[in-house]
Amino acid sequence: MSAYFLHLAILGGIYIILAVSLNLIVGYAGQVSLGHAAFYGIGAYASALTALLWQFPFPLAALSAVLVSGGCGLALGLPTLRLKEDYLAIVTLGFGVIVDMVFLNLELTGGPDGLPGIPPPRILGMSFRPPVLYLLLTLLAVVLTLTLTHRLVHSYHGRALRAIRDHEVTAKVMGINTPAYKVAIFTLAAALAGLAGSLYAHYITFINPESFGLHTSILALCMVVLGGMGSLPGAVVGALALTVLPEMLRQFKAYQDLIYGGLLVALLIWRPEGLLGRGKLSLKFLQRQ
Amino acid sequence: MFLQQLLNGLTAGAVYALIALGYTMIYGILGLINFAQGEIYMCGAFVTVLLLGTGQVNFFVAFAAGMAAAALLGVALERVAFRPLRGFHPLVPLISAIGASIFLQSLALLLFGPNDRPFPIQFNFSTITIAGLPLSSLQGAILAAALGFMALLVVFVRYTRYGKAIVACALDRDTARLMGVNVDRMVALTFFIGSALSGAAGIMMAIYYNATYPRMGLLPGLKAFSAAILGGVGSIPGAILGGLLLGVAESLGAAYVSSGYKDAIAFAILILVLLFRPQGILKGRGD
Repeated sequence: MSAYFLHLAILGGIYIILAVSLNLIVGYAGQVSLGHAAFYGIGAYASALTALLWQFPFPLAALSAVLVSGGCGLALGLPTLRLKEDYLAIVTLGFGVIVDMVFLNLELTGGPDGLPGIPPPRILGMSFRPPVLYLLLTLLAVVLTLTLTHRLVHSYHGRALRAIRDHEVTAKVMGINTPAYKVAIFTLAAALAGLAGSLYAHYITFINPESFGLHTSILALCMVVLGGMGSLPGAVVGALALTVLPEMLRQFKAYQDLIYGGLLVALLIWRPEGLLGRGKLSLKFLQRQ
Repeated sequence: MFLQQLLNGLTAGAVYALIALGYTMIYGILGLINFAQGEIYMCGAFVTVLLLGTGQVNFFVAFAAGMAAAALLGVALERVAFRPLRGFHPLVPLISAIGASIFLQSLALLLFGPNDRPFPIQFNFSTITIAGLPLSSLQGAILAAALGFMALLVVFVRYTRYGKAIVACALDRDTARLMGVNVDRMVALTFFIGSALSGAAGIMMAIYYNATYPRMGLLPGLKAFSAAILGGVGSIPGAILGGLLLGVAESLGAAYVSSGYKDAIAFAILILVLLFRPQGILKGRGD
């Protein structure tokens, strides 16, 4: 396997975690988050800082990334998730901008220069610097994430979430504690994004605010919509497609965002269920009310 | 110093208010946040700057052409990206609007390049001192023009048949249709007017900051949306009040708190408003 292929595979794995976590919010809970990259960034910075300042070993740094991101998700979700979905989109977008500015302005995060020299993972004396090993580590995280989300969305709780998405009032009447569910899923999604951020930071070994801005939030949303909102395999395919496609279309790099934007609109008009949407069952919410 | 900041804030705020009016009118009639409003603002600025760059067009003609181009872009956007999705889950047109916004921004990037363009003609603006307060006549002109546009809009909505029809559609689309109002045409008209105002705002900012570039609409667009919510989304006086307040808060915050966080202030205000008074200062239609 060429080094380049390995690099793409690792990035693809990281994006799968990011897209799957965003899909929990958008596809299953029916809320829009436009600031998902903020949690990704918080995870990356938390992991990098604990590793740099306190020499945390990778598993502990990743765990602190998950906890800090999840905590921020909880803190943002608690007051805001009672808002209607279009307001929530703006609040999360604003949150993303604020977090971006904090990264840019704090001394702790290195400002625009970012944090260099993040140590590659070392677990039980074994270095995961070689890309093959890092890929294994990433795949482990991907499998964990997919197992967790798969079991979640096919459980009682997953059905409760879909009920909220399809008709919140009905869900409430059925005795589902809708605010608690929304906050819980938002927190979980933020924590998973934090895990993705931690993997990214220790792989690239250098982070700066550029990687965690609005552009990344939109990219993650594109992955979810392309694959199909509310479909786990869809999020995986969407993430891989949008990791690999830009590389294949290198000579069209200038057109990348143009294509993403056009793709979002065109998909919603002609195939709102995405590439791997699950047919009528999970798509009631996309149909005319 | 304080008064100077207040004045800077009012100038920026008047421009936010113009964009916020577009948001609030469109939200009022369709319940849709038009994320591409910032790109419409950018389009207005670019058309005017390019026309003036040819050196053969009068300033006022170029200004009107910029507004017209922005208005047509808004109408086209409604037709292509929003009308086919009307009646879907609110998530769907929202994501479509985000897509349209990215599309237009990157199209501008491809067509015009990433660099700032200066405004092609120089104005001879003087600074007058009133009661020890230096007032640049540029700021005065922007304030006056913005307030003039707002007054025109209020008169249009209150006193003309079309304005009343738009209000009727915003109150209840189905009943308006039963009364013989052509709802689709009113929606298009709303996009036309809201986008023209955003275009005018873009041109004024292109003069004020002497810079026109593809991403210029991003932050003003988001801030204007915050302003619309601050004032009470769906309410026209609310959008004006929200825009002015936000501009002043931002300017004072940058001067007295921290200039590094200037752009974050608007969003902090937005989040606080949504938490404590989601219906806005003047009660809008939001809930």
